[in-house]
Amino acid sequence: MTKDTIYRDILLEHARHPKNSGRLKNPELSATVKNPLCGDELEMTLALSGELIKDCRTIVRGCSICQASASIMSEMIIKKSLKEAIKTGRLFDENLREDNEDVSEMVEPLRPFLVLKSHRSRIKCMKLAWDALEKCAHQDKSKTQT
Amino acid sequence: MNIHPLISKARKDFPILKREVNGYPLAFLDNAATTQKPKIVIDAITNFYENHNSNVSRGLYTLAEEATEIYESGRDTVANFIGAKDPETIIFTSGTTESINLVASAWGEKNFKRGDRIILTEMEHHSNIVPWQLAAQSFGIELVYWPVTPDGMLDMGMLEELLAKPVKLLTFTMVSNVLGSINPVEQITEIAHRHGVPVLVDSAQAVSRMPTRVAEWDCDFLAFSGHKVYGPTGIGILYAKKQRLEEMIPYQVGGGMISHVGKHESNWAVPPHKFEAGTPPIGQVPGLKAALEYIAYYGIEELEKHDNELTEHALNQLTKFPDLELYGPSEIQNRTGVVSFNLKNVHSHDVAQVLDESGIALRAGHHCTQVLHDKLGVSATVRMSFGIYNDSSEIDRMFLALDQAREIFLH
Repeated sequence: MTKDTIYRDILLEHARHPKNSGRLKNPELSATVKNPLCGDELEMTLALSGELIKDCRTIVRGCSICQASASIMSEMIIKKSLKEAIKTGRLFDENLREDNEDVSEMVEPLRPFLVLKSHRSRIKCMKLAWDALEKCAHQDKSKTQT
Repeated sequence: MNIHPLISKARKDFPILKREVNGYPLAFLDNAATTQKPKIVIDAITNFYENHNSNVSRGLYTLAEEATEIYESGRDTVANFIGAKDPETIIFTSGTTESINLVASAWGEKNFKRGDRIILTEMEHHSNIVPWQLAAQSFGIELVYWPVTPDGMLDMGMLEELLAKPVKLLTFTMVSNVLGSINPVEQITEIAHRHGVPVLVDSAQAVSRMPTRVAEWDCDFLAFSGHKVYGPTGIGILYAKKQRLEEMIPYQVGGGMISHVGKHESNWAVPPHKFEAGTPPIGQVPGLKAALEYIAYYGIEELEKHDNELTEHALNQLTKFPDLELYGPSEIQNRTGVVSFNLKNVHSHDVAQVLDESGIALRAGHHCTQVLHDKLGVSATVRMSFGIYNDSSEIDRMFLALDQAREIFLH
């Protein structure tokens, strides 16, 4: 194995034993997203209390990076507001585009994914969970508008 | 297994094979996606830009004459390589995708009517599905799928049944880019023609693996890409029978494809130039020509033999591992150069990533065949595909490196 292997222990741990896996029965929001590059699929259900994310569950049919990302994300966003959760994902997006190894404190749990900077095609695998969250938020917006 | 005589000769022709990846010699097993380029191809392209670069069919000066000569002699080489009688049946495109789009659009526009049916197979690459879906929307035609059998083949007995109702076109791949299945072009064409149905052959995977003989096969259209046959990217071929060329309206319009342009209307040049609007892939033509001459030098039959030996070796190895699931025909004579599989309970992306850490380049995903993957009941597969420079030791390295994937993901 080379030094910059993307399979850090922490990611493998999450991939093997994903947190908050499954489907909520009566979710306020839900979304299914697909990775067009490989056909992987991720279903997300969210329970809200006002603006606050009370619970989050995901069902992932995808690679270990995709699994780990959904697991870590779910731990990060529960008890955050939907707006704040979205901000977290976008913040890490910016970190992935920067030349340094810094990450904002708010997204520290995502640090193991920084290695994907040199594996660009896998960023999409990691992003699938965050895409699902964006899709949920978009639905929420449409709901409040109508 | 003995080393095939090709390896000791051909391997040194490819400069890229000298490089290391992650500290290991590169084992390039993704030849179904693209092939590496021999030095002779790289030199041919460099030579064109260093010594002959000009636009074609327009200028009267020496360079323009030379460039035109190189461009048209490339057409002759392609015709010769695929067994076409007339170079004017060879159209330069940007690749297989454009070649198929050209037929769907330029031939379809003139020939498709609402309610027409066309047959395609479940093992097609997206480039031989999506253009027809668009045609279906534009012209109101119906797409009929020729199913893949559980053994990864086309059910020949079913073809007559599919052709019982009127069909406008039958389009199919000669070699599946996932299953490696070889479809019998001559037989399929003969049956289709008996029903008066023209055929389009996607030979993107086949052209570097076995002889192509369009005149003998009597197929109506044949499409392939330069970069999958050891040539450059950005160039492809559409072969079309003269009769079919006459049935086609222009695909794109502009410079180079006209005989006269007035303020309000224009007349078209004759084929093949009628279908080559704008500045064509001039610099790529000498590269493709060199690639086809390179293959001819070793002999396509030798490449075919080599490919079959590697496939047999890979299948023999693969069946030793109960945790590897193989896709495609079980009989070796029904398949060539492409072997797809899954390591049970490990995602193909993870397998490919771990193999890359050992310098092994192969592909994971749906390989632009989602219809086929739905049929197989999996979202993605790992695919190794062979070329002239691969040898069995690289395949062995791949099977050995799978242990690392087992170690990481299954223990």
